[in-house]
Amino acid sequence: MRGMGALRTALAFVILVMLHYTLRPLLAWRAQPDFLLIALLLVAIRVRPGVAAVVGLIMGFVADSLALHAFGSAAMAMSLVAFSASWLKAVFFADNLALNAVFFFVGKWAFNVIYLLMERRYAGGELLMQVLVWSSLSAAVTAFMGLLTLLILRPILRTSSQ
Amino acid sequence: MAAPARSGSRRDSLVLAACVALALVARVVPEPMKEPAATSLRRTVVAPLVALQRDAELSRKAFLEREEIARVRDSVALDGMMDAAIRRENEQLRRTVGLGARLRWGFVPAEILHGQSIGEEYTVTLSAGSRAGARPYSPVVAADGIVGMVKTVDPGMSIAILWSHPDFRVSAMAADGSAFGIVAARLASPGPRNLLELRGVPMRSTLKPGTMIWSSGMGGVFPRGIPLGTVIAEDKQPMEVWARTYILKPAVNPADVDAVMILRPERQQGGLQGIWASPASVDSAVRRIVAAGDSAARQAAADSARRAAAADSTSRAATPAPPPAPDSGTARRTPPAPAAARRDTIRRDTTTRRAAPRDTTRSTP
Repeated sequence: MRGMGALRTALAFVILVMLHYTLRPLLAWRAQPDFLLIALLLVAIRVRPGVAAVVGLIMGFVADSLALHAFGSAAMAMSLVAFSASWLKAVFFADNLALNAVFFFVGKWAFNVIYLLMERRYAGGELLMQVLVWSSLSAAVTAFMGLLTLLILRPILRTSSQ
Repeated sequence: MAAPARSGSRRDSLVLAACVALALVARVVPEPMKEPAATSLRRTVVAPLVALQRDAELSRKAFLEREEIARVRDSVALDGMMDAAIRRENEQLRRTVGLGARLRWGFVPAEILHGQSIGEEYTVTLSAGSRAGARPYSPVVAADGIVGMVKTVDPGMSIAILWSHPDFRVSAMAADGSAFGIVAARLASPGPRNLLELRGVPMRSTLKPGTMIWSSGMGGVFPRGIPLGTVIAEDKQPMEVWARTYILKPAVNPADVDAVMILRPERQQGGLQGIWASPASVDSAVRRIVAAGDSAARQAAADSARRAAAADSTSRAATPAPPPAPDSGTARRTPPAPAAARRDTIRRDTTTRRAAPRDTTRSTP
């Protein structure tokens, strides 16, 4: 990823980060879309796994800075998810919307599971509820928003060079 | 190509391990050590993002409050409208209570159920039926005057035609007895259809605008002394050549009336003179009722009014009738006593004469 490609990806990344801190509070849904994770996945599939892990770590710390009780949890979860996404990127090279939706869904769900386990706030049935219900809902919403983002930002995120 | 790929993969794994280790350290270090790192992040990288988030949340709050404000404003407006309606209904009920106090006997109170469909513009359903004492051809009156006439009666309800019905007729007279005629709904196609007209007035009788028109009691259905309306103007294009026709503003707008009184047959025979003739005493009675704070006070006020009215009627019966008041206002509001001579006069003067009672409907069975 060099030159124009990097610039385009950076632009899309900034837009998504902005959306995370503007659109999400406006929507205020119970199951929130995670634009930070969408941005991370979009970057992760365009860089090496190590770089993706570092980007995930940084973004995780940024997210953690507002949640002191779980400082480090998001960093860990994003590093792992970004690394995995980058490592699996060959699978998702295809420009298939359904496949990308699954990619966003699994990424968000995995992030939530790792985060919840690291955070250790929930246990037992409550944790199961969070993992199976709310994380799944949030992952579904994120996948939907990710698809919308891909459709809207398609001119920017063209992957013909890959 | 395989060796660089493997080394690259190993390097990525090492980077991942380092990231995971850093995250774990950040997770397990004590709170005082986390706080400086988090604070420095919040004050540098995250600050603009947090500002964005705060603005977004403020925008959302403002949006929600706008909806709340609009909702409260609408509720207040609705309450205001309902308040006005309740005030109007209260006023009507007070006036109806005043009418009931004046009638004293021989009436059935009823509520009007206004019809909403086509064909029900001229009829209303009344909540009182034959069980309550309503009978066909019973006059329906409100505090301001005549409303209509009961047409059909069921045990629990009855249907009345309004004065706006094409078949509605009342034998009428001017307040000073100077003119007699038949009042019917004004159905002329040009102009409003919410007016009455006084037909068959002798050519020699002229009525000034503002003259009150009352029922004359000649037809046998409507007793004498019920207000029908006030003269607005003379109709310059009457159907009759030898008689005048006057346009009247009705005393009652049926659409504004919710509570009425159905006069029973014995009351029709007893007459209604004086019932609508003393608005001042009625208003004072109503004021007394309104001023009474509780039911006991209302009851006491009603009892005293009843006693005073009874004493007044006794004294009136014992003493001869006083001469008519000199001022025209009082004379206009007071219907004259029935006079056979006037009846004869009008019979001579009118060009059209009917064998049937004047204030009956065309569809009389």
